[in-house]
Amino acid sequence: MPSKLESIKKSIWVFHLNTGSCNACDIEILDALTPFHDAERFGVKLVGTPRHADAILLTGPTTLEALPKVINAIEASPRPRILIALGSCGSSGGIWHDTYSTIGGVNSLLKILKERGVDVDAIYYIPGCPVRPEAVLYAIALIKGIVEKRVKSVVLNAE
Amino acid sequence: MNFIRKAVKPAELLIIAGKTKRVTVKYPFEKPILSPEFRGSIEINHEKCIGCGACVNACPPNALEFVESSDKRTLRYNIGRCIFCWRCIDVCPVNAITGTRNFELATNDPLDLYSYIVHSKTKCTSCSKTGETVKMRKYIMQRSPVTENYINNCPDCRREKFINALSVRKVGFVAK
Repeated sequence: MPSKLESIKKSIWVFHLNTGSCNACDIEILDALTPFHDAERFGVKLVGTPRHADAILLTGPTTLEALPKVINAIEASPRPRILIALGSCGSSGGIWHDTYSTIGGVNSLLKILKERGVDVDAIYYIPGCPVRPEAVLYAIALIKGIVEKRVKSVVLNAE
Repeated sequence: MNFIRKAVKPAELLIIAGKTKRVTVKYPFEKPILSPEFRGSIEINHEKCIGCGACVNACPPNALEFVESSDKRTLRYNIGRCIFCWRCIDVCPVNAITGTRNFELATNDPLDLYSYIVHSKTKCTSCSKTGETVKMRKYIMQRSPVTENYINNCPDCRREKFINALSVRKVGFVAK
């Protein structure tokens, strides 16, 4: 865990921000909060406003229509703020990465935020289309430092 | 009557809770429940892969892409963009791609999402252009020995050679 995130050792309150997703990831978030998976074991709670939130759950590829609202919501959340990009659309645009009406994932959003002077302390990517509720739980456990990171970049030579 | 029912209700609830027992799974501390049809991330065998680009053509969100340079062709797999449709597995001619049931892909570093397979390209013997990958050429030669005459040339030189041979055969000299 990065040292900036010391204050989020305890319960993570998340604000769920739909930036134009197809609602599959949103349903999986709700599934992760049901008694069967029960994300509240880790203290995770959905809050109604970004001003109460430690982390912002971004689903969707950030449509141009939603972009100003997304920036406002991220600006409104207190430091230290975590951004969690959910699903393949959230983490890098997914199937909408080059369409005219989206900015294509969280990487281009981070660039826009940097231009506006909005800092983001940590960013977590959860690939999946849609993400499984277990994948959301795994990411929460990763933020908390309970599990080890498994995915790794590999460069292999074909010959 | 209503008063009594209200008083008894907690006890009833306790009985129901005792019957159903604990429903919550202990997921990060135990194995996840996965159906046999579940599709997770793909794995590319770098020894089998020939760099033909069938998966690149088939991939709906362009998660598999070629990064071209003058003498290398790199197959880049972006897990962050992958939708786990497994179309690449269906189209791969050498069965280099296998599907796993791995979904625990969360990370805090965007560079972790990319994995690469580096192929080296072949060079045309007549001009200095680079073409398909070395392993791709081997694969073609195994499949069709007829192409051996032309295999070491790039498509442009191949066409020129063919037209010249044809004109020599039909007319008797090379047309300019």
